[in-house]
Amino acid sequence: MNRRFFTLGLGGLASASQVPKAAMEQPAGQQVMLDPSALLLANPELSRFRPLRRVLFYDDFDDGINGWVELQANHNGNLDDLRPGFNDMRPPQLSSCTFFDVGTHGSLNGTYSLKLATRPKPFHSAVAIKRFTYSQPCRVQLEMWFTYKPEQTFDGDTHWDGNASPAELNFGDITLSTDICGGVGGPRYMLVLRYANTDLEGKMVQKWMYNTSLEPTTKMYRQGRAVPQIVDHHVRNVNDWADVPGGHQPLCFNEMPTKVNWHYLRWVFDLRTRKHEELQVNELAMDLRNIPVLTYDQPYYAVNHLLNLVIDVRTHKAVRNFLFIDSVLVSQDV
Amino acid sequence: MVNNSFTAVIEKNSTFTGPFDTEPYEAAWAHEARWFIRAMDLQGTLSLTPQVSPDGLFWCNEGRDPLVIRQPGVYSFALREFGGWLRLHGDVTGEQAKAKVLIYLVLKE
Repeated sequence: MNRRFFTLGLGGLASASQVPKAAMEQPAGQQVMLDPSALLLANPELSRFRPLRRVLFYDDFDDGINGWVELQANHNGNLDDLRPGFNDMRPPQLSSCTFFDVGTHGSLNGTYSLKLATRPKPFHSAVAIKRFTYSQPCRVQLEMWFTYKPEQTFDGDTHWDGNASPAELNFGDITLSTDICGGVGGPRYMLVLRYANTDLEGKMVQKWMYNTSLEPTTKMYRQGRAVPQIVDHHVRNVNDWADVPGGHQPLCFNEMPTKVNWHYLRWVFDLRTRKHEELQVNELAMDLRNIPVLTYDQPYYAVNHLLNLVIDVRTHKAVRNFLFIDSVLVSQDV
Repeated sequence: MVNNSFTAVIEKNSTFTGPFDTEPYEAAWAHEARWFIRAMDLQGTLSLTPQVSPDGLFWCNEGRDPLVIRQPGVYSFALREFGGWLRLHGDVTGEQAKAKVLIYLVLKE
């Protein structure tokens, strides 16, 4: 694997807007101070990101799996007890983006990316999670470079116009979420955002959405408070989603299942207010401050100050869907 | 740095009653691979043939003899020089054939 080493300057990674203007001005004859934003922009590893003040972690998947693991339901040692929909979320892969027609595409930076791959089964999800805890309530920002593809099919649609591929209709959706516990025993809440490429009827919708119900937990199932459904594990009922205002966004599928174009994503949320703040994907920035965030109505123990990041891909058809992530950077403002 | 390794749980308490293929798994970064099969319940005979692929779409046998399992237990075999993709082709045969398995793929640089 490629392992890169890089050095950050003493100025840190604060963006230009966070640096006092006086610190950037250099009166004649005085010691030259480094502009921290210049250090960031000159670093080829990190210049494609816009981190907040402190980088918590930077995951380049040329360096390995970096703690992203298959999500799985709680159990007590018996894997037969895993609740439906949470028992087969597939192990993540380190992918070279290799295709039957062009060979190895590689990642945005290096060869390998993190790949989530569904089974070729309608409404199957592949889900990866990174688990940590937070040391202080603050604003947190997740950034990543990603791309998405359905698996190549060979059914040869004769209506293909040479440009827009029917294969694009074979891709379902991508979901970003968190699982957060705001203290000891709660409150436990989840922030959930989805890019729906197609809707449940197979129509292209290409929009960002948020959840209007909470994912039932194993505890709720064992209390008899939830009915299992395997179509959409994020919500109680499959239609419990609402549109993010201004969230219509056709992404760059680029015509075929084997051409990879990477997209930038930046998502900010606030552990102090327990709210979304902003989602930016390429050119589109969405103000999320009025998006409601749902909290569980009972305490949860043994998850104190939990902060989990979850990324998943779901197919709507009997076609494997893939989400590739070149790299992830998570930062905070304190 | 130490070398990378990764264990993928390819099948988790899955029950098979006939021919099957495991999901494609990318392993180009690894120098060596080892399959582990934990046969939990078994009626009949479970045979497992490693397969390789240039693209994750079209597959051929890797070349070694199939692993044949007739009793519950943990079984294993190793592969090298396998290219970029791995999967197992399996079959369960016999009277009321049924196999409940955990299948692991362990990869190392």
